[in-house]
Amino acid sequence: MGKGLTTRRMVVAGVLGAISILLGITRLGYIPVPTPAGNATIMHVPAVIGGIIEGPVVGLIIGLIFGVSSFLNASIPLFKDPLVSIVPRLFIGVVAFLVYIGLKRFNKYVAIGAAGFFGSLTNTVFVLAVAVARGYFTLPVALGVAIANGLPEAIVSVIVTLAVVAPWKKIGASRKKKSKIS
Amino acid sequence: MTRFEWSRKITIGHYIPIDSIIHRLDSSCKLLGFTVLIVAIAFCNSYFGNVLFFTFALFLFVLSRLPIRYGLSGIKPAIPFMVILAVLQLLFYGGGVTASGTVYIHYSFLLITSDSVRLVVVSAMRFVEIILVSSVLTLSTPETELMHGMERLLKPLKYIRFPVHQFSLIIMIAVRFVPTFAMEMEKLMKAQASRGAAFGTGRWWQIIRRTKDMFPLMIPLFRSAMARADDLVLAMECRCFVPGQSRTTYRRGKARSRDFSFLLIIIGFSLFALFYPFPG
Repeated sequence: MGKGLTTRRMVVAGVLGAISILLGITRLGYIPVPTPAGNATIMHVPAVIGGIIEGPVVGLIIGLIFGVSSFLNASIPLFKDPLVSIVPRLFIGVVAFLVYIGLKRFNKYVAIGAAGFFGSLTNTVFVLAVAVARGYFTLPVALGVAIANGLPEAIVSVIVTLAVVAPWKKIGASRKKKSKIS
Repeated sequence: MTRFEWSRKITIGHYIPIDSIIHRLDSSCKLLGFTVLIVAIAFCNSYFGNVLFFTFALFLFVLSRLPIRYGLSGIKPAIPFMVILAVLQLLFYGGGVTASGTVYIHYSFLLITSDSVRLVVVSAMRFVEIILVSSVLTLSTPETELMHGMERLLKPLKYIRFPVHQFSLIIMIAVRFVPTFAMEMEKLMKAQASRGAAFGTGRWWQIIRRTKDMFPLMIPLFRSAMARADDLVLAMECRCFVPGQSRTTYRRGKARSRDFSFLLIIIGFSLFALFYPFPG
């Protein structure tokens, strides 16, 4: 992995950021679950995918786009606090990247799935931790939310991440040999 | 079929060329002004302040001579979700986080207080206002203008080695692709529906079913997004795009007194609506 923002990284960050925004404004990215946190979301999946495919910087930028759009769309005071809605989201892609790099040697599919799982978990845990620290939730409430929202989110995240990244990694490998224009 | 037509209803990211005061404003001032306005709306908690912001958003539409239908249609697809959300908030929020305010109904786990009612009303209004305001911004400014405006606003950050140009380009790509993906999603939904998928028929309590409904949409959407990203990278590299290279612009925006007075009016109005102690 080279340093800095290449053209490819910029474009991937932009495109996946667009999906995150789209899921937010059409409200397709929400799964209404009756908990105090409002609804479970799958809007963090682009950040996970970006982190795995193009590295931590891209994951961080997509997380930022996701955070800002969820801050602007927030329908409960919890996410109107930038500390809750933006800061924890920065880590989603970074954690997913680290998990993927760490496990890649053993089994690629497991690594991708685990990255999806832990990326999603990062979102749940950090958001709730900040929420508890800022006094929005008490600890038992937060634990309940973690199970009711966090689990379905993590499962959805694993499935989508695997389905998108696994074939992509293979295509990317074969395309390197043959350019699209040749 | 009409319920699949997302692209017509999503108003973020379409530029409408008309001549109006709002259209002619300098893009960096406009961007800053609208950002201030959106942040102010996000933090406004009183009924009266929200009514003020709502009126102001409508006023912006009139001022920019944009058809108001366009702004309102952006809200339409969100209505069912907003209603569900409002009901859930009303029923479950009162006891959960802050049990303050006047209690209206208290029956075992049900607790409806003036605070939870306020939360529901204000969050719905806030959503509508933010959609309206951001529609005015993107309907009245071409994307490239927006990007240059953002670049000029962020320029001071260059001194701490923040990649300003790359960053604003990423944001612009994101904003530019939202309507494209909305169209893509519409196509996907129609394609899947014609094969017998039943979107949007699951009731809100069938959480697992509604989640499963998403997979045949999400996965192709991501795949086609990545394919598009590939094409765009190729196109940019063919045109010798080098990230971070300094470049000049064809047009140079220059903020005039008119732009600054617009900015001052917006900041003043936002501060007033946020901090003036309204009754209630």
